[in-house]
Amino acid sequence: MKLSGITMRRTGAREPHTLAGAYVMDAISPPDRARFERHLERCDECSREVDGLREATARLASATAASPPSGLKERVMAAAAMTRQQPPAAPVADSPKVTISAWFRDLGVLAWPNRLALAGGALAVALLALVVTFGVSNGSMQQQLDDAVASSQQVAGVLTAQDAHMMAGQVLGGGTISVVMSRSKDALVFTAKGLRPLPATRGYELWLVGPGGPRPIEMLPPESDGMISPVIVGGLRHGDHLVLTVEPAGGAPHPDKPMMLNLIL
Amino acid sequence: MTVMDSQGSGEPARPGHQAQGADLAAQIVLVARGDAAAFDAVFDRISAHVFGIVRRVIRDPAQSEEVTQEVLLEVWRNASTFDAGRGSVMAWVSMLAHRRAVDRVRSVQKETERERRIATSEIPFDEVAEAVESGLERERVRRCLGTLTELQRESVTLAYYGGYTYGQVASLLSVPQGTVKTRMRDALIRLRDCLGVAE
Repeated sequence: MKLSGITMRRTGAREPHTLAGAYVMDAISPPDRARFERHLERCDECSREVDGLREATARLASATAASPPSGLKERVMAAAAMTRQQPPAAPVADSPKVTISAWFRDLGVLAWPNRLALAGGALAVALLALVVTFGVSNGSMQQQLDDAVASSQQVAGVLTAQDAHMMAGQVLGGGTISVVMSRSKDALVFTAKGLRPLPATRGYELWLVGPGGPRPIEMLPPESDGMISPVIVGGLRHGDHLVLTVEPAGGAPHPDKPMMLNLIL
Repeated sequence: MTVMDSQGSGEPARPGHQAQGADLAAQIVLVARGDAAAFDAVFDRISAHVFGIVRRVIRDPAQSEEVTQEVLLEVWRNASTFDAGRGSVMAWVSMLAHRRAVDRVRSVQKETERERRIATSEIPFDEVAEAVESGLERERVRRCLGTLTELQRESVTLAYYGGYTYGQVASLLSVPQGTVKTRMRDALIRLRDCLGVAE
């Protein structure tokens, strides 16, 4: 094994493979990382070396092993249960169907994305407070508490994701919605306020509508203090729109027109 | 639960890294198919490992827990991308955990925290010594770190446990960046050989 890259020195060129150690320890800047990864694609020997050095870093990590806080397992298992898994990398020939696209055109898009980095976390705190305040709506008291805790943790996971960003939209007939979405978590948190009241036999239903067709999410709970309590929506796919319709109170298998909201995610 | 616990008490019929690694890799394959029971078992094997390195880099307990949760969920979500031909499950998991921990540190770090961390990192080997006080694995890692030159050891501990870039390590140690880069690589090669890592 070469020790310091003395062989194969190219005059004038920097030697990317000397970055192998810094690379596997994440001790490089993003541009350096990208450059080195391009180099790895062309250099099998470097790739093997990186794999071997990674095993060494794994041992450095194992020397720090420590019991995780109690409750972590329950939260991770609960989150996994509602997290869609990545398909394998092997290409699957499956052209996306666009039959739903005409449906999108029926209404102008009523939403405007508003990329707000959640730097201060003030919104996160506010929404968490909402969960605590309004997250309890049905079921037994213990079940309510369990649900509220699980829900607030999922909500917190989205709100604190590094790629979380906010979007807002107006609802046909009145009211506004706001969404905080994390692509890395394939999830979003939805809230609304000021929605036009509906008769008891009708309700607002939330959908994800993508190239594969509409997927019902849930009937929105009734407003409490003029606000819909946050709804967590997982399993986002590329090309999804978030759609709100008015349906019979029990929910509908397919969305009815008109769309009260059509938010491009 | 510590790594030693999971190795020692959980599976007495499977001594040694290799058999355990193969077993864990097989479970990851099941996880990729959505097997919740396999994920439950994988969680028990990797969670202390993940939490340990994440907390070592991030320090803050609440953020460490949050990032640990993200990493473990990433294992679930991206299990299909694990490639046993490239290395062990632990190497893959360590990469996910360390990268996320470092990303977190670099994105949210405030100046004051940075200063505090620099101050506490002035004695990196002692920190490691404190962290690796017990357990066979810890002892082995400590012994192998001890075979490095001082510059190699400091480069590795500041980068891997401290979450610094090689440029920052170079500043902290007042040596040229090129020197730090090569020392990091040399050090990991030595550690790999000393720890008997199977390629």
